[in-house]
Amino acid sequence: MQQYKKTQYKLILVLVGLPARGKTHISYKLNRYLNWIGYKSEIFSIKGAQQKDDKLDQIIDYELEIDPENQQIVEVRQKLSFQAAQQLVTFLQTEGDIALYNGLTNTKCDRQKLKSFFKEQLQLEFQVFWIESICDDPQVIVNNINESKQSRFKDKTIEQFMNHINVISQDYQTLENIENLSYIKLINIGKQVKVHMLEGYLCSKIVSFLLNLHANNRQIYLVRSCQTEYHILDKIGGDPELSAMGKQHSQQLGDYFIEELKGNKNITFFTSQMKRGIQTADIVGEKLGIIALKTKNLDEIDYGICDGLTVKEIAAKYPKQIKERKANPLEFKYPRGESFLDVIHRVEPIIYEIERSRDPVLIIAHVAVLKCLYAYYHCNQISEIPNIEIPINCVIKLVPIPYHCLESRVIIK
Amino acid sequence: MQQCNRSQKIAICTVGLPARGKTYISRKLNRYFNWLGYKSRVFINGNYRREICGTECNSQFFDPQNEEAQKARSDCAKMALQDLIQFLQNGGDVGILDGTNITKERRHQIENDLKSSFNGIQTLWIESICNDSKVIQNNIRLTKINNPDYCNVNPEQATIDFLNRIKMYEQIYQTITDDENLSYIKTMNVGADIIVHQVYGFLLSKIVSFIMNLHTYPRPIYLSRHGESQYNVDDRVGGDSDLSELGEMYAEKLADFFYSEFPTKEIKNQIIFFTSTMRRAVHTSDVVAQKLEIQPLQLKTLDEINVGICDGMTYTEIAQKFPNDFQERKINKLGYRYPRGESYLDLISRIEPVIFEIERSRQPVMIIAHQAILRCLYAYFHQNEIPEVPTLDIPLHCVIKLTPAAYFCDEKRVLINPQTGEISIKEEYVQEFVRSKSKQKSFIDL
Repeated sequence: MQQYKKTQYKLILVLVGLPARGKTHISYKLNRYLNWIGYKSEIFSIKGAQQKDDKLDQIIDYELEIDPENQQIVEVRQKLSFQAAQQLVTFLQTEGDIALYNGLTNTKCDRQKLKSFFKEQLQLEFQVFWIESICDDPQVIVNNINESKQSRFKDKTIEQFMNHINVISQDYQTLENIENLSYIKLINIGKQVKVHMLEGYLCSKIVSFLLNLHANNRQIYLVRSCQTEYHILDKIGGDPELSAMGKQHSQQLGDYFIEELKGNKNITFFTSQMKRGIQTADIVGEKLGIIALKTKNLDEIDYGICDGLTVKEIAAKYPKQIKERKANPLEFKYPRGESFLDVIHRVEPIIYEIERSRDPVLIIAHVAVLKCLYAYYHCNQISEIPNIEIPINCVIKLVPIPYHCLESRVIIK
Repeated sequence: MQQCNRSQKIAICTVGLPARGKTYISRKLNRYFNWLGYKSRVFINGNYRREICGTECNSQFFDPQNEEAQKARSDCAKMALQDLIQFLQNGGDVGILDGTNITKERRHQIENDLKSSFNGIQTLWIESICNDSKVIQNNIRLTKINNPDYCNVNPEQATIDFLNRIKMYEQIYQTITDDENLSYIKTMNVGADIIVHQVYGFLLSKIVSFIMNLHTYPRPIYLSRHGESQYNVDDRVGGDSDLSELGEMYAEKLADFFYSEFPTKEIKNQIIFFTSTMRRAVHTSDVVAQKLEIQPLQLKTLDEINVGICDGMTYTEIAQKFPNDFQERKINKLGYRYPRGESYLDLISRIEPVIFEIERSRQPVMIIAHQAILRCLYAYFHQNEIPEVPTLDIPLHCVIKLTPAAYFCDEKRVLINPQTGEISIKEEYVQEFVRSKSKQKSFIDL
């Protein structure tokens, strides 16, 4: 619950599962989430270790390539898996809080070896949580393979993939209680979930997060509320109503979305509880025939003592604060107000809602809040947040796809 | 955050042998839902049976071969379900059916009745499985001995009879299987293993997280306000003032009190210690933290209610400057929102993550915060109704210790005199409360 605070103990998340079960996708999303809420987290995989090793041939994919005759590839795989584990240990001992491991973990023997390795090598308190992705729905598997093909393995055919998977399946052993490991099993992308020996605040959060993941590629629209009196006067904060121009822009926004959403009424529609948010959302909502859910979580950042002042007035009255903010914009807290870190914390439940939703999502909010939401999908470091541009009268459309997020911006005239 | 589509009703049904914590789970969920603002109620099969068939039933009544008794019990269960359906039809949001429901046939019947009564109702089945005889014995001791069924029987006999009753149920017990096509959660051995099957939707996902973190550890929760602050002395609201001299003395005495509460280093290191980010609370917490050699976690979520434009004013000044708001607040203290500030309802929503954290923790919890915040926290655990929240008595210089016991909380108030360190204690035990209630025949609602 505390941003930017070290965990009491290090956490290792180990992924288990056959290829095309979404392990990489899960690790990527988890890693993004954990970094966003303020932990230092990184992924360590065979692929990653391969990329760090200049002496190796980068064309062969050691993670996937299995030729039962080719002993050399098997050996290299094991070596890379081991290297990834070593890199993980170094990371946690120096600066990391949480590490995700995507290596050789498909047999009981491999898992016990890994467990012992961590115990010997890590000189500090740590917890290991195992995440297994299981899939027996052939359609889902084919979809996953297609996604992988597009991003990683462009030259392989589906048949070759299936062949590779069949070879690896032969030695595969699913997690069992007797192994005495704390784990979660995700079956068919959340259709069924099994949790064993769940312990600790972080793992609890991670489980809640994983329960909401799905593979639908739906659009997320981020829009600022329209123009207010304060904009015209260059004041920050406050709870002003829309200006006449602002109301006009809201109408145009509504028209844009009528075309964009093509009559779809199943939209997850949120706005804040500030007058400008509500007014913009009401106008847009009326055009679309939907009603926004108004939540205080999306209220603009609290400017504390600077609320209602113009930028010039703040520079004159509180020069010390301006300096502080320039030095560390992410952690700077307006006196009696909030920092970006506070906003991230406040906005976290909204991220859960967005992740959970399989329908398009439309959010009408305010600059600082949208910066934080945007960063979750786009930025690798939250230190980038203060520099993100969220212009007014602009619809930012995000479409998260595996390993990536597509973005397009449309200025509404 | 109330994101539930209000037109979508939710029915939750428990499954499991007696003494598996079904009523505990039902009550906890019910509390949580009501807290979040949904209209929720529990319908206990057992209570209907007691009302209609009387409380003198021994284990033979539960014999599956006893046809007459079976019919009576089945009728009672149908009544409970009917009342639940009526509740949902008349404005209720969540209905919880607390019963054993251990046969596929029964579950199938209930699922059908529910689905045919409402369009788009979401149903969730929660099965509690437990093979640990120690846990079961403990459950029986805590909750069954005082049960109206056994008010004329001595504890040993009651336990024996109850264990026999469980054996009757075991004969026909069928665990939930996937082919029944139900959305379910199975929790085994108090959360050691959990299986979630086909559970979708905002509220249901929240329930899953909630249940995953439930436990029955009787860990104590300590609530205390910061020591007296400058603004308290001046009778002003809001602000970020520091402690007065008296407040500083309280901090010292509070530290002494906690030092004696937690004698060993081991216990001290496991305490979960939260405070807010406001000066008066941080200052108080730092004094305590130093004495106990532990670190508090400062959460903005625990900051006092935001009084917006009234920040820094006295109540007299507010009455003069904003007479309309002053009146409004008097009438509706719960929903009234200070302009540019918060209402108690906002507060209740804001502290939800903290409540979740406290529920989850199996170690003692210590919270040093503010009046409005503590009113909300206290109300949740002490099971007060939400409208009571704004007027609950949370005095300065007093530690409130809540210890979960069966379905409620034992309460102990320790008033500490900041100058002399003198302590006076007021205690309220749950067991007596429950015993007095169970003497009455009707046990429908506690």
